[in-house]
Amino acid sequence: MSPISLIARKESGELLKSGRGLAWLLALSVILSVLSLLLVSNTELSLLDNAQVVYMVMGTITALGALLAVVLGSDAIAGEKERGSLVPLLLAPLSTSDIVLGKMGGQVVAWGVTYLLSLPYLWAVGSSGQNLFEAIAYLALLGMPVVLGFGFYALGLSARFGSVRAALITALITLMLLASPLLLGPGLRQSAIGKVFDAVNPFSAAVNSFDSVVIDSQPLSMQLGRFLVTLIWLVMTLWFARRSVKIAEI
Amino acid sequence: MLIEIDKLKLVLRGRQILAGVNMHMQRGEICGLLGPNGAGKSTTLSVLTGLREATSGSVLVLGMDARSQREEIHRQIGVLPEQAGFYDWMSAPDYLRWFASLYGRRLTAADTGQHLARVGLDVKNNEPIGTYSRGMRQRLGLARALLNSPKLLVLDEPTNGLDPRGRREIHDVLLGLSQQGDVGILLCTHLLDDVDRLCNRIGILHQGKTIVEGNLAELLATLQAGRRYRLHLLSPPRDAALPPGVRLIAKRGEWWHLDIGAVASPDAVWRALLDRGWVIAEIHAEGGGLEDLYLKLTMTEVAA
Repeated sequence: MSPISLIARKESGELLKSGRGLAWLLALSVILSVLSLLLVSNTELSLLDNAQVVYMVMGTITALGALLAVVLGSDAIAGEKERGSLVPLLLAPLSTSDIVLGKMGGQVVAWGVTYLLSLPYLWAVGSSGQNLFEAIAYLALLGMPVVLGFGFYALGLSARFGSVRAALITALITLMLLASPLLLGPGLRQSAIGKVFDAVNPFSAAVNSFDSVVIDSQPLSMQLGRFLVTLIWLVMTLWFARRSVKIAEI
Repeated sequence: MLIEIDKLKLVLRGRQILAGVNMHMQRGEICGLLGPNGAGKSTTLSVLTGLREATSGSVLVLGMDARSQREEIHRQIGVLPEQAGFYDWMSAPDYLRWFASLYGRRLTAADTGQHLARVGLDVKNNEPIGTYSRGMRQRLGLARALLNSPKLLVLDEPTNGLDPRGRREIHDVLLGLSQQGDVGILLCTHLLDDVDRLCNRIGILHQGKTIVEGNLAELLATLQAGRRYRLHLLSPPRDAALPPGVRLIAKRGEWWHLDIGAVASPDAVWRALLDRGWVIAEIHAEGGGLEDLYLKLTMTEVAA
């Protein structure tokens, strides 16, 4: 097994076996259960249509996935440093690249677990509608680069600051800023600033894409620009994480 | 040569941390790295293990450059850092298995059991490391450092948090390794007793500089820092002549204060005195030896 996959295996083990990781997954399930229950009730009462409900669940899953990625990313370097487990890792015959890529691998697994965990909820709210398959596919296609990007960004901050708290606060503020399209009203989003923000914001790109595919049933060709924005976000954060690790000389 | 450090200097953010460290170590030696807090011991270890790059000077470990060939060096050395962190959710056998796989080694359950037994760590299979005491974590850290059968073992405060029995057991493990001949041990510690019992070579750092380096017995002899004892005699000795190398410092009633020198072993001196008809009721160590040498050198530097 390559060093990268060994580190990734440890990272995934931490999510699936440690008390902290399991608590996160339990919290994720509880939030999605409550949300799904409320949204299904709304659909039953005809307060919301099915596509609207599926769109809201997709946005929430992406936000929760990004939140988990930020928590894991902030802990990735600084947490190990604070607990004293980073030095033994650096003293093993591994390159810094192996360690960082392994930790990124752990983020991929964490997103995979979040995605799989959310599928039953997506099915529960969307099985009676028309675009469930598209919802599942687009959540994977656009949710993944957005979520992983947040994880890599937090990992970079973790290396730069060397403090879990500082990295977590900075990453959470960024997440809240970029995820604001979920919170802002349509009026603000239609303003000039809102439009520019929407055009460059990876979170907006993903959420707008979910909207147009699930609610407006638009084809893939209409989503390429948005997909590109999320990919650029992923590449930029990947570069930022690797650069930060290099600067921090871990 | 296991370690060759010459004129090592390190400047961090405009501040000189190391200002001329020299250290040399051969196979089979146990070398103690001593110095007051902030002398640069841990920084020297971080340069030695390739975690930091020297500003100037030469640092060779197993004949390889410490920074540019660090991955190859890490494959052949074992390190117990001062803060020996683990993944608290893992059990000790799982952790050792996982860590060994980073070296490309596959450990069986019997192998992990052997590694744990070697450092005297008796744990239940599924007990998470998070429940271990400090001493148990220290032992696990040592087991981790020994996983790859290293040629050089670098230990930063290895007996920290261990009870006297635990310290003695770790000493025995280290002495056993050293007696096998091809493992060198670099010990960075504040506990002079550890150095006294284990090391045949020392280096003392002060304010980022090596102020003394060499064979412990030779240094003690050269710098006349023998070992002092206070003996309670039940009756005046028949033969008051002292064995060679032993010096009477003072005599107060039934208490005789002796300096037994650096080379003789205390046991041999007591045997010689008993043979001369000395009726010894009590023996108390009074410092001297390494402690005196250490204080003398570091105080001299402070005064200078």
